Amino acid sequence: MSTEIVEMHLKLLFDLDNLLNDMDEPTYKKIGFKVEEQEKQSLIKTRTDLLKKLPRETADIYERLRKRYQRAIAPVDNGFCFGCFQRLPTQLLARSEKIITCPNCGRILYWRKK
Amino acid sequence: MNLASLLSKDRITLSLKPGKKNKVIEDLVYTIKQGVDAELILSTLLKREELGSTGIGKAIAIPHCRSLAVDKLEIAVGRTTKPIKFNAIDKKPVSLIFLIIAPPQDPGNQYLITLGKIVQIAKELIKKKLIGKSQTPEEFITLIDQVEKGLKKGK
Ligand SMILES: [Zn+2]
Repeated sequence: MSTEIVEMHLKLLFDLDNLLNDMDEPTYKKIGFKVEEQEKQSLIKTRTDLLKKLPRETADIYERLRKRYQRAIAPVDNGFCFGCFQRLPTQLLARSEKIITCPNCGRILYWRKK
Repeated sequence: MNLASLLSKDRITLSLKPGKKNKVIEDLVYTIKQGVDAELILSTLLKREELGSTGIGKAIAIPHCRSLAVDKLEIAVGRTTKPIKFNAIDKKPVSLIFLIIAPPQDPGNQYLITLGKIVQIAKELIKKKLIGKSQTPEEFITLIDQVEKGLKKGK
């Protein structure tokens, strides 16, 4: 599986996990949008399917981080990991071809395309 | 943070082409991001819609999600030239859409606070019949600012 496809699946999975998390937030519930329980279950199944599409090792890393931090991926901004707000070593800053984790907190790092 | 200050006139389309719900949402997403970023946002927004329409009734919809594709809160506004089907809670068509995309990491929970505020302002727009009022994006921003100030005073 190409790095681009793995990355796209990871991003989709991450956005979906954040969506599902927000649905359980008391502040969100108070706003009063409609959320169908049955559809929520079906999206939970979609996330499981997405997870299965990832290479085993990547899926394991993602799940382990999600359980630890809730948000497994941290964007990189200005050379900082946005999960732990530590400056990343410069040799990491050059965009490499495979999934990179933060040497400090372990989150999967994501460089936004400018 | 007030809502008017989060709006930008190049992301307010007051003569949005009517069409299928998903296409109209897509057109609005494209005022914020393009390419794979837009695809990711759209995919997540439509998953949100699967959970239940964000059409809150009385012609207003507020599609929303977090996405890794943005690094700050982004809002787009669209008013369709003709009402469109949106599967809204009151089953009535929609003509004014506030689209809101937030980054995953969001200090101070700005996303949910802003989302709540948009719902509140939208309800005022409905109550005071102001949906069709503005002719230009500048007028729209001024209107939102006034409504928001009115709400603050009312408290
Ligand atoms: Zn980190």
